[in-house]
Order: sequence, then structure tokens, then C-alpha cells
Amino acid sequence: MPFTRINGKMVEAAVFPGQQLFSQRGAMIAYTGDVTFKPNLMGGQGGVMSMIGRRVANEDTPLMTVEGRGSVLFGHGGHHVHLIDLAGDTLYVEADRLLAFEGSLQQSTMFMGAQGGVMGIVRGQVTGQGLFTTKLTGHGSVAVMAHGGVIELPIAQGQPVHVDPQAYVAHRGDVRNKLSTALGWRDMIGRGSGEAFQLELSGQGTVYVQASEEKL
Amino acid sequence: MPRGRHDRYIRPVAQFRLQGSRVLAVDMAGDSVKARNGSMVAYTGQMNFKKLTGGGDGLRGMVARRLTGEQMTVMEAKGQGTCYFADQATEVNLVRLNGEALYVEADNLLCTEATLHTGTSFTGLNGMASGNGLFTTKVEGTGWAALTSNGPAIILRVTQGTPLRVDPGAYVAHTGNLSRHLKSGAGWTTLIGEGGGEAMQVEFTGEGLVYVQPSEKATFGGDV
Repeated sequence: MPFTRINGKMVEAAVFPGQQLFSQRGAMIAYTGDVTFKPNLMGGQGGVMSMIGRRVANEDTPLMTVEGRGSVLFGHGGHHVHLIDLAGDTLYVEADRLLAFEGSLQQSTMFMGAQGGVMGIVRGQVTGQGLFTTKLTGHGSVAVMAHGGVIELPIAQGQPVHVDPQAYVAHRGDVRNKLSTALGWRDMIGRGSGEAFQLELSGQGTVYVQASEEKL
Repeated sequence: MPRGRHDRYIRPVAQFRLQGSRVLAVDMAGDSVKARNGSMVAYTGQMNFKKLTGGGDGLRGMVARRLTGEQMTVMEAKGQGTCYFADQATEVNLVRLNGEALYVEADNLLCTEATLHTGTSFTGLNGMASGNGLFTTKVEGTGWAALTSNGPAIILRVTQGTPLRVDPGAYVAHTGNLSRHLKSGAGWTTLIGEGGGEAMQVEFTGEGLVYVQPSEKATFGGDV
């Protein structure tokens, strides 16, 4: 794993020839050695079609390619950084929460609206997450940003986890994602508990939740 | 068996614990807790969230809250499972109350056990200068309360003969038998705009504990 935690808000990445890293543009804080940073016009991997896909999906957070030999410090906006290791499984994360990830991971965009029918479409509108999300698959590690640190909650069969959409960071594994509402007459007359919408995650996997309701 | 507000049979008690330093996890088994509106970040199991009218206990509390502006919109979380609460990435402090009273700014109260009573208490001019309003929230009873602080809070002990002065913006909460007075450190330099930024302090005398955060919210006293 090329990432080392320096403190809660910074990671150090070791870069070797032939091993690419992708990071959010502008997230480099310092580096040593002979390292180059190239803006990635494609906004990641997958060719032109994938690029257009991301543009349309509004998941085109500008990425840069990091290559060379040396070590690079990453951090952004004073947000807490959480390292996630993938061993052949899949991580779903919003593009603007991605700080850096290894080039060995396959990046693609996934349409989330398809899950849960009409509620899937509503989901993006309500949560402000949009209809698409970034999907990373393969072997490698990812540095994800969150406001106020991250807790991991396991999801098991028959034990779904409900998450405040604003506090949701990412999830991995074989997880279904559905917007559930607890809208009642109280919400209609402005006396809601502030918890009218929740994301219900069911299946098998892990969900990452931040200690804040602030979007990045 | 009817389950009402005045149901005082033996019943399970919500378990408060910290998940990291910024997330409060509450294990519930059919009982309820009071929490700041919208502070839930995740839950497992079955939970229901209901806004509590007024937030205080009873009609008097409601009227008091309306009048005082010490408005903390409170919801009741009830159900079975684990509920996680957090507020804007602030640090969570657990306080165990055994019959004594805890005075806390409404902004800093995250969650209380259902066995605790919340009300408002008059602070007078102290609150005005500190930008906290004329009233503060009083939590009484036996059980757990969770406070938030911007940065990890320190707990300072006040004893007879050793009073404590706190910046109003850094004050979070206090327990025990303490009386508080507003002290002014303002001199003539303050009047010509050359103050040291510490024109107002709150002095605590008596016996008790004061929670102080390593951060100052914007106060009237901090501007002069």
C-alpha cells in the first residue's frame, strides 16, 4: 500500500516508476524526489466515452496523474482523510470526496438512479448527491476525505443500516442503496424531526459515515 | 401494557458510548433519547424520530422556551438498535449526572437520556455579553448527557477560594454549586479601540466543574 498516514488530515504516498497514482487536482501539499503532476484531461480512466459520461454525470472532478519517483504529501481543505484498502472488491464514493487512489484500480461511473425506481431519481435531488457516483474496483488503496473523521458500520444480511444522506461518505461490497422516507404529517406542517430522508443500505458490506452533516 | 410518558416500570436504559471522539453511539432497546434536531448520522435496527414540541418538559417549559429564545429544537429518537449522533464534526463529551444539575449552552447539548429533565434557567447579563442569550439550558436528573465542544474540552475544577475566569466564547457547560458573574477587564484602552480582545470574562465561584473548549465563538465581549 503506497499510502502512509501522517496525521488525521494528511497522507504520504510513495511513488515508483511504472506505478501511477491519481489524485484530486491541487491536493498535493509537498513532495520530495522527481515527481511529475499531469492534469488528466480524461478525468480518470476509461477513454473518451467515459470522459463524456462523467461530464454528463457531473462526476468529473478534475484529477491529476502523479508519476515518477519520490514521495508526495496529500491533503485538502483540512478534511479528515480515511484510507481504504480494496482487495478485489468495489468502493462507491462521490468523486469530490476522492483525495487520491492507486492507478491499479479501475475507475468508472455508475448510475445510481436505477436502484429503487422513482425513489432513485428522487434520491439524487434530495441528497444533493446527483444520480451518478464513482466506482473503484480492483486491488489497491484509496484515500477518501470526510468532514470530522469516519466511522465504519458493517452491513449484514437482515441488518440494514440507515444513514443521513448528508453524512454518507462511501460504501463497499454488495450493497443496495435506497432512499427511505419517514415523511409524516409533522413534516408537512414544518414540525419535522430533521430526519425525513434516510439512505437505507442493505446487503453485505461496509458503509463509511462522517461525523458531520456537512457536504464537501 | 400501556407505554406512556409516565410509565415508570423497570425498563431498559439507553447505553451511551463514544465511537471515535466525534460520534456518539446510543444502544437502545425500545427506549428513547432526546437529541438535537437532525443530528442523527446513521442507525441500525428500527428507529423513529419525532420532533418534541418546545423541547422543554411540559407546557411551562414550552412557554419558557418560546419566550427565552433558548431554542434548541429537540427530537425524540426511539426504537431498537444503535443510533449514531454527530454535529458538524465537533468533539463529543459524555457527562454522567447523578441527581445534580448541568448548565449548558443550547448549542452545545447534543443528546440526553430520557430520564433527564431539561429546562431553561435565567443567567441575566452574563449570557447577554457572552452572546449566549439571557437564558441557558439546565439538565437535571440521573443519566447520561452528551455535550459537543469545538475541539476537545478540558474540565476545570473550581473550589472555594480558587475562582475561575473563563472567556465567554470558550465556555461550554458547568456542573455543581457554582455562581457566575460577569467580569469586565475593559479599561480606557478598550474605549479607543485598543482592547486586548479579552474585555469580558465569566467568573465562577463555589464548588464545581467547568467545561471549556479550545475555541472561541463570536461574542460581544470578544469584539472589544
